Amino acid sequence: MASSSRPGLDDVRWYERAVFYELLPRGFFDSNADGIGDFAGLREKLEYLQWLGVDCVWLLPFYPSPLYDGGYDISDFLTVAPELGSIDDLAAVVEDAHRRGIRIISDLVMNHTSDEHPWFVESRSSRDNEKADWYVWADDDRGFAEVRVIFCDVEPSNWTFDQSRQQYYWHRFFHQQPDLNYENPEVANAMLGVVRFWLDLGIDGFRLDAVPYLYKAEGTLCENLPATHKLLRRIRAEIDADYPNRILLAEVNQWPDVVTEYFGDGDECHMCFNFPLMPRMFMAVRREQRFPITEILTQTPPIPDGCQWGIFLRNHDELTLEMVTDEERDYMYSEYAHDPRMRRNLGIRRRLAPLVDNDRRVAELLYGLLLSLPGSPVLYYGDELLMGDNIYLGDRDAVRTPMQWSPDRNAGFSRADFAQLYLPPLMDPVHGYQTVNVEAERRDPSSFLHWMRRMLAVRHQYPQFATGSLEVLPADNPSVLAYVRQARAGEDLAGEPSAVLCVSNLSRFAQPAELSLGRWEGCTPIELSGRVPFPPVSSAPYSVTLASHGFYWFELVER
Amino acid sequence: MPPTPSALEGLVVPYLQRQPWFLVDMARYDRAAWATFRLADLEIVLDGRPGMASVVVAVGERRFHVLVGWREPALAPAVIGDHQGAVLGMCDDGLGDVLCYNALADEELSTGLLAVASAGRESARRVRLVQSLVSHASLVYDERLLMKSYRVLEPAPRPEIELMSKLDEVGFKHLLRPVAHWERNGWDLALVREYIPSAVEGRLLALTSLRDLLGRNVDEERPRLDEVGGAGGDLSSEMRRLGEITGSLHLALAEAFGVRTLAAGETPTAVAIRVHGDYHLRRVFRTDTGWVVAGFGDDPLIGRSADKLKGREPRFASPLEDLADLSYSLRQMAAEAVAAQPAVTCAQAERLAKSWERRNRGAFLSGYLRVEGIDALMKLDRSAVAEAIKSLVAERAVTAA
Repeated sequence: MASSSRPGLDDVRWYERAVFYELLPRGFFDSNADGIGDFAGLREKLEYLQWLGVDCVWLLPFYPSPLYDGGYDISDFLTVAPELGSIDDLAAVVEDAHRRGIRIISDLVMNHTSDEHPWFVESRSSRDNEKADWYVWADDDRGFAEVRVIFCDVEPSNWTFDQSRQQYYWHRFFHQQPDLNYENPEVANAMLGVVRFWLDLGIDGFRLDAVPYLYKAEGTLCENLPATHKLLRRIRAEIDADYPNRILLAEVNQWPDVVTEYFGDGDECHMCFNFPLMPRMFMAVRREQRFPITEILTQTPPIPDGCQWGIFLRNHDELTLEMVTDEERDYMYSEYAHDPRMRRNLGIRRRLAPLVDNDRRVAELLYGLLLSLPGSPVLYYGDELLMGDNIYLGDRDAVRTPMQWSPDRNAGFSRADFAQLYLPPLMDPVHGYQTVNVEAERRDPSSFLHWMRRMLAVRHQYPQFATGSLEVLPADNPSVLAYVRQARAGEDLAGEPSAVLCVSNLSRFAQPAELSLGRWEGCTPIELSGRVPFPPVSSAPYSVTLASHGFYWFELVER
Repeated sequence: MPPTPSALEGLVVPYLQRQPWFLVDMARYDRAAWATFRLADLEIVLDGRPGMASVVVAVGERRFHVLVGWREPALAPAVIGDHQGAVLGMCDDGLGDVLCYNALADEELSTGLLAVASAGRESARRVRLVQSLVSHASLVYDERLLMKSYRVLEPAPRPEIELMSKLDEVGFKHLLRPVAHWERNGWDLALVREYIPSAVEGRLLALTSLRDLLGRNVDEERPRLDEVGGAGGDLSSEMRRLGEITGSLHLALAEAFGVRTLAAGETPTAVAIRVHGDYHLRRVFRTDTGWVVAGFGDDPLIGRSADKLKGREPRFASPLEDLADLSYSLRQMAAEAVAAQPAVTCAQAERLAKSWERRNRGAFLSGYLRVEGIDALMKLDRSAVAEAIKSLVAERAVTAA
């Protein structure tokens, strides 16, 4: 068997092979019994993440914030929210994590601040103060008329009138989040200062929130403008010069051809999230046919060397349906969000387990796809337990409830009084913490948690999954998706062959499939989890039988 | 020196008489027609050992094409392998005995055939025989090109070749693009077109959708349309896209062949166009980039084409004919899925399948009618079109019964 290809700390291209784990510091573990998770708590739980096989933790915003938008409304970029601990606590987390081979990246919101940020407080105070043009001000609300409203459920316009300055300010998200004005070079300089501050502390990179909107220009959609790319290249150049091994991971919720522009020529972001792929994995399983996936893979252009996709099933936001057609959106709504409460903006606010009706086989299939399609997988905290959601909570809090550690009080998350918790843990009979929790699942070798850990270990053994090329194989059965991940030249592990074949049954019924494996004639497919050899490939089509929602990963070994 | 024409004729005629595809085709003719076999045309396409000849035999009015290969008797069996039925017999090529056989059983000769059929413009390293039908055998080259080697010949231009070439000329994109065709002395012998390995027959997608629907536990006496749509394997968005492709196909056909006025008494639309003529779910393929129209063939084993298409003039008809063909094909799929259900659940399955058919027919039509410019061909409003299709489908069902 191949040895593990887990990226080491000295590996400059670690992000290409890393498994990411997104977590909410305030929802992970509470060390001081105040009802809110904190950095000291996270530090205690790093052992768990190491055990699971996580390579990089992505911290959701931990900055001081009035929390109108889950912390994405930042009121001070240069410290941590006091309820989460101190900068020293965070530094200790970073140091401990590095010792365990885990990296830490943090969210960075460059597009806007909170309206309580001192910059905005000063800017709105008059029309001629020092920060008067650090934000986008106008005398009327007629500018940028073609620009869509993203939080269309609650914001009627991207302009909001400010009483004190008697002008309108521009915001792409909530009105509590005024957009910064990057036309003013001081703003970019200030933001670079923020970047340096955190990198100096040891943070391994940033997940860049809402990048496409940084620059605005009349007569455009104010998205993806050339000036935005120029700024990203400037930040990247500074990182490459002074902070090797650190990364930029962009959130660009756009179609693949637009997203790939954020890789530049390998001189902008190291990684971008692949938003269009995600809903189509769900759609393919529901429709029991592969075309939603293969169609989007066909439309996804190649990316420069040294760049990598970030792929995910669920995250802290709703399952966004911006990057699907209206028809596909109707379909997703009707299939995955029967209850209007499950919907938010253009998306579905649900965790993985409830999305798939708590069907473990479907969840395994979806993770089987996630861990084998091109890109670095990003897991969302709790989904490794098949945690549920609470759609009766407002906004996206539905999917931000406390991590379920044990069947003890407050899910083992906190020793505070229940009423003091930042959000109540799940207590329903299906997903409640009494049954779904780390302690129980760690003790049960056949749990989903153990399954996930094994799959991550298998993935780590084969660099093909991370950086191999992708070739979708024709299969006569539309319910079967088959592809080969082939290692790039020079990346074979010693003595190991270079192709991994993945075959998935997207249907809930057992399926046969015949695959054209002509190029691998004479090879023996060896199933990766149990190392069981299957019949060798001949010149005839290769027959595979798959159980309901079953999938196989095979190494194609020359014998 | 190749085998003589008379030697080849002596081998090909009895071989032809043993072939199921020949027998199926000729079954429609009087026994008298069988009496007059003659060698109509012969070309040595590869001289030497191995060698290959393209032989056309006339039987009455009909023309049949056989590709004959030959090798030294000691070497041939290894090449033919399991294809024992492929052997024609021994003859002399001037240097001694050779064993003659169906050249399509020989990979080397089949590969060489691509160059012959494309006048040397195409070549390939690998070939596989994928389908043997009455009218033709299909060979796939390097998973990139497909050759239809016709067995039952028609005078050039064969409607399929004519339609594909013209559609390609007017820039219709949703087509498996024609690459070359092989014609000799006024008869079309082969067509080479693009091959997309990931393509799946529309029929299989329909059956996938039905499998999901019928696999549900629905107790309702009368399932509502939206409940059918609620089935995970809903096909309607695919059918809408197929409707759009069909609309643009008709516009392209109208551009390529012109528009005529319908004769009185025909299906009530204002115009007649050159229609596809055999439009059903085996003729359309879903690829990773959307639907494509894969063929305009005419084979008695698939579709309902055989007699309808025989010896016809280029077929101008109402575009409704194609819509009805496709809609009827949805009905056939529904029936096929219901028939596969255990008897106890049949009644419920039938109800569901009916709703499925109605929903997808509607989606197909919606897609068709939203194509820009389609009102130039279809002068009726939606409900009139839907009614007309319904009655044409019913007509097809009666004819089939």
